[in-house]
Amino acid sequence: MIELAGLGVRAYLRKMKTFSPIIALVCLMIPACEKKAARMTVEETRKETTKDHSPKLFASSDERFRNAKPSPVKGNPPENWLVLPAKEFRELNYRFGESGEAYVTLASGSVGDNVNRWMRQFGRDPLTTAEMAALVKIPIAGTEGVWVEAAGEYASGMGAPAKPGQALAGVIAEVGGRILTLKMVGAEAEVAAEKEALKAFAAGLQLVE
Amino acid sequence: MEKKNNTTRPDHGKSPFRKVYDFLSGFHLATVSLLLLLLLTWLATLEQIDHGLYPTLNKYFSWKSWYLIPDMVPEINGKKLPVFLPGGYYVCAVLLLNMILGGIIRIRKGPKQIGNLISHFGIVFMLLGGGVAHHFSERGNMAVSEGETSNVAEDYHEYVVEVAEVTDGKREKFHVVRGKHLTDLEAGKSRIFDFRGIPFSLEISGYLVNAVPSSELERPPRNNERTVDGYYLERIPGEVETERNMAACYARMISKDGTKSEPFILAGATFHPLTVRDGDRIFTIDMRKRLWPMPFEVKLDTFTADFHPGTSRPAKFVSDIRRVENGQESKLTISMNEPMRYEGLTFFQASYGPQGAKPGEPMYSVFEIVKNPADKWPEYSLYAVAFGMLVTFLTKLGGHLGASSRKRKNES
Repeated sequence: MIELAGLGVRAYLRKMKTFSPIIALVCLMIPACEKKAARMTVEETRKETTKDHSPKLFASSDERFRNAKPSPVKGNPPENWLVLPAKEFRELNYRFGESGEAYVTLASGSVGDNVNRWMRQFGRDPLTTAEMAALVKIPIAGTEGVWVEAAGEYASGMGAPAKPGQALAGVIAEVGGRILTLKMVGAEAEVAAEKEALKAFAAGLQLVE
Repeated sequence: MEKKNNTTRPDHGKSPFRKVYDFLSGFHLATVSLLLLLLLTWLATLEQIDHGLYPTLNKYFSWKSWYLIPDMVPEINGKKLPVFLPGGYYVCAVLLLNMILGGIIRIRKGPKQIGNLISHFGIVFMLLGGGVAHHFSERGNMAVSEGETSNVAEDYHEYVVEVAEVTDGKREKFHVVRGKHLTDLEAGKSRIFDFRGIPFSLEISGYLVNAVPSSELERPPRNNERTVDGYYLERIPGEVETERNMAACYARMISKDGTKSEPFILAGATFHPLTVRDGDRIFTIDMRKRLWPMPFEVKLDTFTADFHPGTSRPAKFVSDIRRVENGQESKLTISMNEPMRYEGLTFFQASYGPQGAKPGEPMYSVFEIVKNPADKWPEYSLYAVAFGMLVTFLTKLGGHLGASSRKRKNES
């Protein structure tokens, strides 16, 4: 007579019947312990949905990761300036020294409005017409803009506390009906050291649009 | 479960099969399993406060978790004791086995045990329902603005990589690499994915659960991360609310001739997909939370939010929707505790926005969508357990009343 584990076949099958729930459960408890392959074919697909808008094709990394639009202004910054990603109200954005920053903005208003806005950030009164006319003019983006300087306690007006010992140097110009501003702010000594570089950078600026 | 009634039978006379069977169907195992489940539930409830619900559920009750070390363990000299507990899934599995063997197979069969048997069937059904839900249920959310239509839900956690061909500015078919094939591709591991009808393969590596593409100009890499086109993946600690995690990975294309492209970054935190060209064909490659197309469209007509007076405690959120399927429209209302069940899907009213919207401002409604084959099983099992207990109670009551009646007759 055939024996399995010391039992007759029928007795063995009876035992196995008793334990069949255990075996079934163990099979359920070891689901898909597969070793993942190093290469596989993807079979799953889905159709277009209401969440799939027309894609922006050939987006740059800045556009993909920062949603940045190509800057309408191009410049050739000095080597010691660190290029930062553009952000809202800063078409070009740079950092230098310990705390200095320089950026290019396309602003609204007039040249005078923007000069006085910068003055207010240093607690200065608005310039008179005569003072405005006396501002030095320097080349910027194929035209001429006014050179503005200020020093003292700087309050950017963006909620940040006022910082003493700061200086400003910048250029404001009307280019093609738009107001182009190039502003440099930082510690007085750092700004003083970068003034000439700023002027050279301003001269090389170009409006792409 | 059946109480041992054969206490006179010496244990050493039993076959090994019988001993195992007695152990698996015994009261002791049932008691230990239930106590363990109580302990695991209590520890998980406390732990999810700091670690979030999803990771804690995975740690305590996933089938992948054979054992676990709870956070809340006693310390000796500032060192945590290595306390190991079995995973809740397997405790439930043992309890299920115990209930089948002891509560259904081994139990004495007779009219008086019918109630118990029904209750045990109810518990078995409930445990099976838990297993089915664990393995086969899906969850996602759908946000729809007033006046707009949606036909898709988004998974809460799973990030996938999608490849699609662009034809006339549109993508009709998306090839989806599921998250389960990506999450193990941590540093040093990679996998190649081939797609039917796509003339290149993707090699994906360096998967991170939560990361953002950082510009090396903004913040230079500190851990020697790989930089691609001025960006690198900066790892971020996992969020407690894990649905806020943004997965990311590195990838490269492999042409049919085996040529590999420069690596590129795929990340959940992106605004636009990567576009690649193969000959005159254009493809997009993207990483995003998995989209789950619905078999019908949902149009939100109006959303109404009522709060208890003077509080931000919700009293009632109501979404008046139109379900559009094959050109047929059905007007329905989904509100808190009154979901819409249709075609195996359940739409719960989950959230809304924008928070603090002024009267008249357009709002959107968020539905949690659940596909669970065992959706109603717990309810049915509770009915079965309650019915079984009622039968047991009535059987006992009948027996007691009968015995009392006989006793009175004998006394008279």
